[in-house]
Amino acid sequence: MSAVRAAARLGDDIPRISLMWLLIAQALVIIPHLLHVPVWLIGLWLLCAVWRVQVFRMRWSFPNGWMKATLMLGSGFAVYLSRGGLVGLDAAVALLITAFILKLLEVRNRRDALVLIFLGFFTVVTSYLFADSLLAALYSLLPVIALLSALLGLQQSRFATQPLATLKLASRLFAQAIPLMVLLFVLFPRLDPLWSLPQPKDKGTTGLSSSMTPGDLAALGQSSALAFRARFEGAIPAPTQLYWRALTLPNFDGRSWSISERFEARQPEWQAQGESISYSIIMQPSTQPWLFSLDVGSSEQADIRLMSDFRLQRRTPVNRTYQYQATSWPQALRQPQLSQAQQYEFLQLPRDGNPQTREWAQTLRGQYNEDDALVAALLRHFNQQPYHYTLKPPLLGRDSVDEFLFSSLRGFCAHYAGAMVFTLRAAGIPSRVVAGYQGGEINQVGQFVQVRQFDAHAWVEYWQSGQGWRSVDPTFQVAPERIERGLQNALEDEADLFQGGFLSPLRYQNIAWINQLRLSWENLNHRWQTQILGYQRDNQQAWLKQWFGEVDWQALGLLLVASAGLIIALIVLWMFKPWQRQTDPVQRVLTDFQRLLRRRGFNRYSGEGLRSFYQRIHLSLSEQQQQALSAFIEIYEQQQYAEQGSDLAGLRRALAQVKKSC
Amino acid sequence: MLSRLFNLPRQWFAAWLARRLPPVQSIRLQQRHIFIVPTLAGMAYSGALLLMLLVAINYQNSLAYALTFLLASLGLLSMFHTWRNLAGLTVSASGSTPCFAGEYGSYRLRLHSGKADYQAIAVGWHAKQLTLVDVAHHSEQCVELSLLGRRRGWQQSPRLRVETRFPLGLFVAWSQVDLAQSILVYPQPLPDVVVAATGQGDEADSEQTSVVAGVDDYQGLTAWQAGDSLRRIHWKAWSKGQGLLIKQFTEQQGQLQVLDFQQMPGDVEFRLSVLCAQVLKISQTDQPYCLLLPSQQIGPDLGPEHRQRCLRALALYGVGIS
Repeated sequence: MSAVRAAARLGDDIPRISLMWLLIAQALVIIPHLLHVPVWLIGLWLLCAVWRVQVFRMRWSFPNGWMKATLMLGSGFAVYLSRGGLVGLDAAVALLITAFILKLLEVRNRRDALVLIFLGFFTVVTSYLFADSLLAALYSLLPVIALLSALLGLQQSRFATQPLATLKLASRLFAQAIPLMVLLFVLFPRLDPLWSLPQPKDKGTTGLSSSMTPGDLAALGQSSALAFRARFEGAIPAPTQLYWRALTLPNFDGRSWSISERFEARQPEWQAQGESISYSIIMQPSTQPWLFSLDVGSSEQADIRLMSDFRLQRRTPVNRTYQYQATSWPQALRQPQLSQAQQYEFLQLPRDGNPQTREWAQTLRGQYNEDDALVAALLRHFNQQPYHYTLKPPLLGRDSVDEFLFSSLRGFCAHYAGAMVFTLRAAGIPSRVVAGYQGGEINQVGQFVQVRQFDAHAWVEYWQSGQGWRSVDPTFQVAPERIERGLQNALEDEADLFQGGFLSPLRYQNIAWINQLRLSWENLNHRWQTQILGYQRDNQQAWLKQWFGEVDWQALGLLLVASAGLIIALIVLWMFKPWQRQTDPVQRVLTDFQRLLRRRGFNRYSGEGLRSFYQRIHLSLSEQQQQALSAFIEIYEQQQYAEQGSDLAGLRRALAQVKKSC
Repeated sequence: MLSRLFNLPRQWFAAWLARRLPPVQSIRLQQRHIFIVPTLAGMAYSGALLLMLLVAINYQNSLAYALTFLLASLGLLSMFHTWRNLAGLTVSASGSTPCFAGEYGSYRLRLHSGKADYQAIAVGWHAKQLTLVDVAHHSEQCVELSLLGRRRGWQQSPRLRVETRFPLGLFVAWSQVDLAQSILVYPQPLPDVVVAATGQGDEADSEQTSVVAGVDDYQGLTAWQAGDSLRRIHWKAWSKGQGLLIKQFTEQQGQLQVLDFQQMPGDVEFRLSVLCAQVLKISQTDQPYCLLLPSQQIGPDLGPEHRQRCLRALALYGVGIS
């Protein structure tokens, strides 16, 4: 009836499937870390993986104590050397991965394998600290499912030999867990950090810096990296209105413009006028504390303040993606009064250098009495003379402003802004360079503005008593298309300079469908960042308020437990399918049979075999009944145990016989 | 005194288990039969999750939160999967093979599934020594477990542990079923003790004497039956196509071996052990023998059935009727 199978003993060693998935999972876990761990870890992993496989094939043996100690100390020392210490997140993660790799050589039994799998899950979590993009998150599903397969394979018996079947099972479990995960994600209360931990180190992020030599911005102009995204509450303003202020650079040393150390957190004097614009910004890590805003920006967030030069600044540098709300009054009156000392600061120039420009400024001053008229004349000069806007300006010598204004006539926005401020100061008008971003790409799919590093820009502010600060942009006079249609349109003949090469979708902006695809993808990324990554305390509370009204923690806990219970109940119901219990027709016939006998007073005990049931009752049956019953039982047992094709009709006939006899 | 106190909970548990899972030949595991608890691995898993949650909180990282919650959900759901992997499984006793005291007898059981697949079902007497089987849907698996025969007589099998940790090993669902099975344990044979079985008239522990001595009194041929010695088969008749016949010798009746309990030295158990060894020894020859116990006489006869009867009588001597 059935063969006695040699049963596998529940050994302590690791099943083949599990080991295989463990190795795959380990590779998948380590891959995203390769961007920031020392390269030699790859070699170490290969060594350990080969070693472990050879151990499994019984070719090599496990390393002995000395070898393990040497490997451990050696790798620890190597991490110390390549990371310059063992403190900090980078070194900690490198150590974690080293341990994760070396542990492979120690995996002898199930318990070791469990430790390795848990370490793997933890390593996946740490990878999120370095990369949390949509793609990184999607990728991380692979190591997670592989680790799950390894965990599952650890429990399977020897008879399970199909790695793909294990994978399938793991994926099914994974899919079942998703509803509950979403629920926990949405409702689990977000806490403030319990203690501060080392943050991922700056990976050489590009962006504005605190000083500007004219060539610098041109270099930024070649980077298509994302700087920030802005979503407006109302309509998106025209590109010519989008001057994103980051810094002011009032100090000039003859070559570069830099920030003033004297800017204080003291609120500058200003009066809101006209319409206001509200928007939220998600900025990429910049490792700098300054934020981006339209003039004059203000924010109600507690860790943001308005500095005396009208820039918004955060208390701590932005090391991770950061989201903030701001409101701006573009027509505000800014600092109508400045003290003599302040005015002097915005007039300072190096003692000598650029004599030609100084002379020209004096000439202009002689021609125009009014400051506004002088500024207008200067702008006209840029407009009418054959100035050329380029990302490839010629190298300039010691008197850089002179050379640019009177001989090369070629430059990037920083050249124009710097030269203009120099001239204004030489003419006695307080002024400063403003650095930031201009414009940005409007994503029609998602209704937001996306600003990249190549949108970096510099413009000019000059001050007049009573009128306060006014912004002008000399670049607009030279290359209005830069402001109206963006940098790329202004520099079509220099398109090669844009980073990304052939594969960059930015390169194919002219092809409509690729561009549409790119915009949709960027919109998806934007939503990912605001709605998933940005789902922290504030967002959660806002979201809960929107759906459930005012919710306190107690109610939230209740809601969480209740809905988790509901989801679990649904999944369990789906797992057991109680409505299908009686759909097996053979079982249904058996139920009928038992009901029939129960009516005659013969109860089958739970767990009593049909045969023994019959043995127990057959003496109190008539001969006809005995025959009918044993015939039925025989057919039933054939169905159940003999793996014959189902003879349902025969079983039903036998039941009818039993019915007749009773 | 103290140890008895410590044993109290165990006794209570045993009594409670006996009420909840009374002895039955076959049992379909259902809700009230199955217990489920987290394993050590499960606790380590929750510890690891806690650590991940701390990372998520301190780094305010949504993805870390998401993975932590995913794994937590998986762990929670695995509890139901583990339970499901035992629920509805039918475990039935399927007989046992007797053994001698101090040796291992085998004990067969059948695992029988309905609609559902069952993977990695572990069965055994102790949690530490389990045998893994898979039972696919609508199929049956036989498992043979060995059980040490401790003392002669009917030995009640202990409660059978049926457990599963599938799929993730974070929970263990288990049941301890009593399949109301006993295994017959024969006395431990003591072959090294030289005690002669008393033949009628002379000492006869050598098989040759009896066989050779009876050659002359050849009586005739009878049909071969299972258990008859191959040595007495009449091969000539077989080669002529007359079937398997054996030669019968009258003299053998005279060489009857009598294994008499009363004639043995030592205490009861010792005597039974010696008798057991002699039954085994004589049954390898073709000699008929009879076993004399104070209350019964078995034989004279020969063949495996007779041997079995003798061993059974020895096993059950003084412990009541089978």
